[in-house]
Amino acid sequence: MKQRIHHILWQPETFLALLVASLFGLMGQLDPAFIQWHVQRELSTHAWELAIIAIPMTLVILTGGIDLSVGAIMSLTAITLGMLFQSGCPLPLACLAALLAGILCGALNGWFITRMQVHPLIITLATMAAYRGVAEGISRARPVSGFPSSFAWLGQGLWLGIPVAGWLFLGLLVVMLWMMHARSFGTHVYAIGLNSTATRFSGIRVDRMLLAIYTFSGGVSALAAILLVARRNTAKADMGMGMELGVITAVVIGGVSIFGGRGSLLGTCLGILLIHETREFVSWHWNRDELNLLALGALLILSVVFQKLLRHKRATP
Amino acid sequence: MERLKTNALSKSYGGTHALKDISMDIIAGEVHALCGENGAGKSTLIKILSGVERPDTGKVHWRDAPLPLGKVDAIEAHGVVAVHQEPVIFPHLNAVDNLFVGREHAMACGIWLNQASMRKQTQNILATLGEALSVTEPVGEMSLAQRQMVSMARALIHQCRILILDEPTASLSARESASLFGRINVLKEQGVGILYVSHRLEEVFKLADRVTVLRDGASVGTWAIKDLNRDTLIKHMVGREVPVAPPTSSPNVKPTKQPVIEVSALCRKGAFNDISFHIQPGEILGMSGLVGAGRSEIARALFGVDRFDSGNILYGGRTWTSLTIQDAIAHGIAMVPEDRQLQGLVLPLSVETNLLLPSLANHECFRGLDQGTMRSTAGDLVTQLGIKTESPSKPAESLSGGNQQKIVIGKWLHTHPTLLILDEPTRGVDVGAKSEVHRIIQALAAKGTAILLISSELPEILSLSDRIMVLCGGCNQGILSRQEATQEILLRRSLPTDSGRDI
Repeated sequence: MKQRIHHILWQPETFLALLVASLFGLMGQLDPAFIQWHVQRELSTHAWELAIIAIPMTLVILTGGIDLSVGAIMSLTAITLGMLFQSGCPLPLACLAALLAGILCGALNGWFITRMQVHPLIITLATMAAYRGVAEGISRARPVSGFPSSFAWLGQGLWLGIPVAGWLFLGLLVVMLWMMHARSFGTHVYAIGLNSTATRFSGIRVDRMLLAIYTFSGGVSALAAILLVARRNTAKADMGMGMELGVITAVVIGGVSIFGGRGSLLGTCLGILLIHETREFVSWHWNRDELNLLALGALLILSVVFQKLLRHKRATP
Repeated sequence: MERLKTNALSKSYGGTHALKDISMDIIAGEVHALCGENGAGKSTLIKILSGVERPDTGKVHWRDAPLPLGKVDAIEAHGVVAVHQEPVIFPHLNAVDNLFVGREHAMACGIWLNQASMRKQTQNILATLGEALSVTEPVGEMSLAQRQMVSMARALIHQCRILILDEPTASLSARESASLFGRINVLKEQGVGILYVSHRLEEVFKLADRVTVLRDGASVGTWAIKDLNRDTLIKHMVGREVPVAPPTSSPNVKPTKQPVIEVSALCRKGAFNDISFHIQPGEILGMSGLVGAGRSEIARALFGVDRFDSGNILYGGRTWTSLTIQDAIAHGIAMVPEDRQLQGLVLPLSVETNLLLPSLANHECFRGLDQGTMRSTAGDLVTQLGIKTESPSKPAESLSGGNQQKIVIGKWLHTHPTLLILDEPTRGVDVGAKSEVHRIIQALAAKGTAILLISSELPEILSLSDRIMVLCGGCNQGILSRQEATQEILLRRSLPTDSGRDI
């Protein structure tokens, strides 16, 4: 029992939860208005796309890979949605086509990684440029707007007091938590990240799993793009610019090892919360961009160094 | 007298004592063997002697002066040099670069390297080792034995007086080992003291003058080799008597039975050629041959890891001309691969997860993974195989080599294989655990599992197999029955016969 408590106490998630709690305490001291429910709900709209993409990104990084193309897929699928809508296609059909485009983009990444054995960093770096290039090309950098107001509900509306995008995130999170903890899938993901050869020798279809995970990442990026278009009421080719860095930062702050095999979805959620709250509070309280970047950098360093120490501490009780 | 003397060395990691109060000495001009099971403290002792680790207490004296502990370069400068088990080799660099990396000869005030002098010295050292190696070929393209020579040469570049060799023959074939022993004897005559660490007791008796035995971090004693025999040495190592793998007296095989697997004319270009054999239920087919003879490649083809070009495999009532790992597993083939740490186990995961990895999907039920049956299945396997671990939730990497190997075998047991392929199942496994692994193999065969056993250790092959197939250069050199086979015949058949590559 004592060992168990010791084990839980030194988990990175415990440390992150404490960090989040103390952050809220500090923000409450400095600016009580900031931590009110309706303020938080309003500010949360900025975070949902990042949060949604962080879920598949966690899986990708747990397998020891990386997906740099998520922002570019957002841009390409947003443009697909916009162009189809502009050419008179019914909106639900346009959304479906956007989702399909995202799935195809992700599957292409996965195909290169599993069949051509290209390193994920290289291939997604390449497709990051290529997908955005296609998006800029077909849209000729012109934004599309004029979506019906019912569509805006998806990005701005509330349901049972919580933003619709938030419900989507929670739904996705619950399904993936179930997959990771109640199915063999989760254990296989960790096993791939720690030793993909031994996992393959155990009869697990490693290639098929990786293909599925990158495809999932593409599809979820498309979903995030739809939410973003609905929220902004425009579709532009520069949407999702830099999204990959924000998402990867959140996942890494959340304690997921960039080398794969270590970390959890719970950690990712705490990581998202940390960077979102820090970012919003700095803009709210001081309204200075350079401080924002500084805070983000400091947070990342703090989190990574502490987790390193924690891992060491856990290894030698 | 020139000697290296340790005085009451102790070292502990966390709460466990890796070394307790070790006092021993190595005299220049002798081969001093260091024996002990895995986890007995041999590696720790080597790390301390070579300066990789610093002891908690104790001293090391060389020529009656204390050695600077914990400093690799200072110790090497005194002529005490270690060749570690995984030699530090840069595969893309040639022998010269490998020898001189970090201590290059400079010229013109250090802005240029003196390639000529480095090459000359490399050639001299390799000549004293009696090895004709190319000094321009990348080391990664050399044979394992040649790479071993390069790491030994790297050690000899210092005026080496004490050479520490950690499992130098672990990945060498019988012939390559023999050539290494020749080199060791030459060094010994030149007055170099050698600390020789090996699991292979035959080698210890062949080479050593004295033996020090470690058990659980403490020294059991030092003996002259003539005062020991194999049984007494093993007894000192494990602290109890270990029966040397008794041959199963009655063959389990009835020749009338339908074979489990029939392989005909299997070929893969550059790996193996025209391989045909069959295995019956309960039969152990040994596969002997040198490293690189194509044994592992055949195993990988049977398990669906690699493709094969032509030929077919008949099992599970089907003729296969190509197959995947999933096909193989679904039809009752399991493989314990050659490299336990890379291919066999996910080391940071728990013993339980490793044991259940191939069959985890069977434990999925409506509410999720059934922790209860998972724990009991894993617990059963741990008891059945005698895996020594504090708890099944400990990471696999915390176990000794022998116990790790039992996990790799155990993970297939509840998939109930009809054919189990074992590729070097006792490599790097200590003596006690080795006989347990042998017992497990025999028990599986007795229950009717067909077994393909690949091993470089001839005594192991000879004592376990019902029939033995010898490979050389990817070709089948014939299948012998247990009665026909002797070490000499196996060795003779496994050596290439073409001119210029005689023994």
